[in-house]
Amino acid sequence: MAESYAKPEILVSADWVVDHLNDPKVRIVESNEDILLYDLAHIPGSVQIDWQGDLQDQLVRDYISPEKFAAICARAGIANDTTVVFYGDKSNWWACYAFWAFKLFGHDDCRILNGGRKLWLDQGRPTTTVTPKHAPTKYTVKGGDTGRIRIFRDEVLKHAQAGRPLIDVRSPKEFTGEKLHMEDYPQEGALRGGHIPGAKNVPWSRAVNDDGTFKSSAELKAIFEGEIGLKPSDPVVAYCRIGERSSLTWFVLTYLLGYPNVRNYDGSWTEWGNLVGAPIAKGA
Amino acid sequence: MPTELDQIVAELRDGDRQERIDLLLDFARELPPLPERLLAHKDASHRVEECQSPVYLFVEFEGDRVQLFADAPIEAPTVRGFVALLLSGLNGATLEEILGVPADLVERCGLTEILGMLRVRGLGGVLRRLKAEVARAAIDRAQAHGPESMPSTG
Repeated sequence: MAESYAKPEILVSADWVVDHLNDPKVRIVESNEDILLYDLAHIPGSVQIDWQGDLQDQLVRDYISPEKFAAICARAGIANDTTVVFYGDKSNWWACYAFWAFKLFGHDDCRILNGGRKLWLDQGRPTTTVTPKHAPTKYTVKGGDTGRIRIFRDEVLKHAQAGRPLIDVRSPKEFTGEKLHMEDYPQEGALRGGHIPGAKNVPWSRAVNDDGTFKSSAELKAIFEGEIGLKPSDPVVAYCRIGERSSLTWFVLTYLLGYPNVRNYDGSWTEWGNLVGAPIAKGA
Repeated sequence: MPTELDQIVAELRDGDRQERIDLLLDFARELPPLPERLLAHKDASHRVEECQSPVYLFVEFEGDRVQLFADAPIEAPTVRGFVALLLSGLNGATLEEILGVPADLVERCGLTEILGMLRVRGLGGVLRRLKAEVARAAIDRAQAHGPESMPSTG
């Protein structure tokens, strides 16, 4: 029998979601790269929470205040004990990013719909264009253990200097410095191309199958432990360009492989590549 | 700017957030399919490289009027909607009118407010590419038919 994930309950299947479409204790949240997708079609009863428009405060370049987060949850009908299931496009990048942000604010029960938006549609599951109205809840922000899952640039520098594991989950050309963004995306964001010295390149996409589901525990271990040589007890930092692809890798290491000490550097390459005095390395 | 495009910009600009999203989605749903004869030419030379999604653009001249055709996946409704908006606003325009479309069209439509800075850069790239392709088609046409066929650029 295949070895299971460290925390298998963190992933829910499309069947599970179908069974819980009218469960008042469950809220489905869609989070996408393309913000129009939700209005095009979404899982009945699901709400859209946008990583950029809703969760980030562009004026301070950080996440929103606890008060604003509480207001978003209240409006979405999310209470402190609600099971929140995230799903989205791009093999759940943005769903994982929203999941990670919810953990920053300390929401207890977060899950990911395995396969995301693509598998749901490919399987012909029910969709709607109706935006639901959920009875507002009262939400109290508990506050998450931010220092455990998020890391800032000064600590990243110390982490790199100490030779601790850094995983760069961008595409190989971004890692070597040939490109500043993924192939085909507008090339912008950083003045320098390359990676944080000592980082190893494991593109995020290696953790997912073509249908958008996550690879098996054995396949993931073969990559992160077999190839890269990580140990579950390692303090690991993952980064990408703006922290969204690396939140998928953070999710994989933390919940599917059960590593207790993984942090996402959400400043990522847009910060590090532009940071005065920060060392970088080029090439493979 | 052609009157048709001007009207679309005004409608978007005057709409609230949801109205802008709905209008862009309407455009995305109504992008006309590529004519049969162009289907075989969805290749690198017609690909809009500025877009992460596979977007293809074709430019033809009918007299001095520009005819635009495009294909973009419905799974990327934002870029598909924007491409359809450009086609709808610019089909039948002259070279001069198309080159005169303001570079900050995306902002003028109020799309930055709903999409965010990170998402709109690719859309600006579509407009730049469209202008470049129209200019190139005009030059090709002039070389094929002689300079008198070159539409006036004022």
